[in-house]
Amino acid sequence: MSTLTGIDIRYPIGGLFTALGLLIGGYGIATAGDAAVYARLDGLNVNLWWGIVMLAFGLLCLGLARRSEATPTVRPSGESAEGRAIEQSETRRGLERNP
Amino acid sequence: MLRSPTPALPAHTPDGGPVDSMPVVNLGLIDYLVMVFFFVTVLGVGWALRRATRTSTDFFLSGRSLPPWVTGLAFLSANLGAQEVIGMGASGAKYGIATSHFYWVGAIPAMVFVGLFMMPFYYGSRARSVPEYLKLRFDEKTRTLNAVSFAAMTIFSSGISMYALGKLLNLLLGWSMDVSIVVSAAVVLLYVTSGGLTSAIYNEVLQFFLIVFGFAPMVWIGLREVGGWDGLQARLADAAVARGMEANAYTSAWSTMGSPADNPIGVEWFGLVMGLGVVLSFGYWCTDFLVVQRAMAANSMTAARRTPLIAAVPKMFFPILVILPGMIALALTATAGPEGGMIPAKLDGAGAVLMDATGRPVLDYDLATPMMLVRLFPSGLLGLGLTALMASFMAGMAGNVTAFNTVWTYDIYQAHIRKGASDAHYLWMGRAATVGGIVLSVAAAYAATAFNNIMDLLQLVFAFVNAPLFATFALGMFWRRATGHGAFWGLVAGTTGAALHHGLSLAVGATPGIKGGFFGVLRTYPSELGQTFWTAIVAFFGCLVMTVVVSMFTRPRPDEELRGLVHSLTVRPADEALPWIRRPWVLAVAILAMTLALNLMFI
Repeated sequence: MSTLTGIDIRYPIGGLFTALGLLIGGYGIATAGDAAVYARLDGLNVNLWWGIVMLAFGLLCLGLARRSEATPTVRPSGESAEGRAIEQSETRRGLERNP
Repeated sequence: MLRSPTPALPAHTPDGGPVDSMPVVNLGLIDYLVMVFFFVTVLGVGWALRRATRTSTDFFLSGRSLPPWVTGLAFLSANLGAQEVIGMGASGAKYGIATSHFYWVGAIPAMVFVGLFMMPFYYGSRARSVPEYLKLRFDEKTRTLNAVSFAAMTIFSSGISMYALGKLLNLLLGWSMDVSIVVSAAVVLLYVTSGGLTSAIYNEVLQFFLIVFGFAPMVWIGLREVGGWDGLQARLADAAVARGMEANAYTSAWSTMGSPADNPIGVEWFGLVMGLGVVLSFGYWCTDFLVVQRAMAANSMTAARRTPLIAAVPKMFFPILVILPGMIALALTATAGPEGGMIPAKLDGAGAVLMDATGRPVLDYDLATPMMLVRLFPSGLLGLGLTALMASFMAGMAGNVTAFNTVWTYDIYQAHIRKGASDAHYLWMGRAATVGGIVLSVAAAYAATAFNNIMDLLQLVFAFVNAPLFATFALGMFWRRATGHGAFWGLVAGTTGAALHHGLSLAVGATPGIKGGFFGVLRTYPSELGQTFWTAIVAFFGCLVMTVVVSMFTRPRPDEELRGLVHSLTVRPADEALPWIRRPWVLAVAILAMTLALNLMFI
């Protein structure tokens, strides 16, 4: 079909959310107990908790990307037997015209 | 996103100029750091994809190589422009839960339809754009009509997106409008020219997650403040009664739809289902290249068909993220004391609060969601929420720009200006068109600042052009007798019909002019939305009838030329090869059942 798309999108997503999780979670730790910052929230440290959630999501994305590195999800269909079979069957049934 | 069937976002102050009051909030270092992290990632993705973009197919169609969950989230995210996030929050505050009709009636059924029934023709015909499908199915003039109006619309949409972002950041943070416009244009320019559609799609997926993670805590904190869903219902019941409506007017989606007078939208159920649910919704989701392009980038026919279906799953829950904040903002406004509520009132030129006929302040609903963000979030999360807001504007802009460069290059430049050039030349043209499209968008953004009325007029003209589109595509795909002449004159008739209906009708309380009635007022509607829905209905049937009539008197194309383009002459997609759980129709049935359940829950 075409050239390899290059990168697994889960890396940039995972990287960004890991960084944001550490940044905002870290800020939450630094501001823990600061009544002025969390006045509207009755003292609930929402930065810390949401930072942890984002960190977990970021690490999950990185882990998934890492695990499937051997068989990247984004690849030309012609590179694998399964992809070729799908392409062939779609062409045979007239769903795709061969370019 | 002025083509989306959503209420219009009034993108200007009453006196027409940018707002130059004191900023609402000051950012801390942490908030700027969050923004920097996001922009670095966005630009880095574009840079990393630069080497992988070698052919025009890579640039315009991502080499048709992306997995369906990626194209599905991009399908959803490309539509998340200014209109979606700000406009839906505003409508949530204005109309309450009934705004969800824009999702559960006005999006999901059409998304299911385009995936199941139309994608086989878009993807299978190997057309590279929606206008190119019209060329393959009908003729050159129908394609050119569609391509030119579509290209113009994308420019104005991204210009309005840029303008709205600039105005909002000026109001909230005191940032200069020029800086906001130039910086957002430069960022989109860099990542789209380097990586093309793949870069736009990757960033749309990134932006999708950012919007979810940036808005979810706002909803949670907001609900906590009003006492959960029960507390919200109680407060909105008071607000509804105070405005002379039934107590459940803001919190039930269907039970007040019997008559326009009983619900805040001012529409009855038939106009809603037919105008929004059938004509506007199918016209947008099934024919707009901005969204269809994402599905065309998928790596197989099955993946292309599953793209809008996968997008429909988060789409049906998006009201929680974009409409609920508006409803919470209304609750926090209606029950607020004299110090003022969440949603600020509109001011007149002299700075006094505008009052409506009943002596109630006129609220600036467009600020509902932004105000929730800056009032509820502590610094830290505030940076995240504002970044999510910027991400949504940029996703909308990049979606328009990538659709523009493709339609310009394939359907205008290659079709009319320079045929038969090398692939490298068209790849170069795609990059050049991206630069040109963004420069024109910036010009449109400044035009919006200077001439509000011209922008309103253009939005109206585009609405007329879009309303009949679905009739043309439906006849093209499902009736082999439809001809090119029929399609072309059908579109002309539909657009004319829309203009006539708008010119002969008026909403209660509106003054003749851009709001309608410029040919005289034959019919009066209880609300502008009702008028819009009926304009669409008239356009659709005008186009349908004219296409059929002209087609009957003109010569159809031979069947051999229509294979793969028309339903009855195309082999049905057989899903038997897939495990049942991955077959598109199984997913479609599950989605429709879930949507029905949501409607019943909030009936």
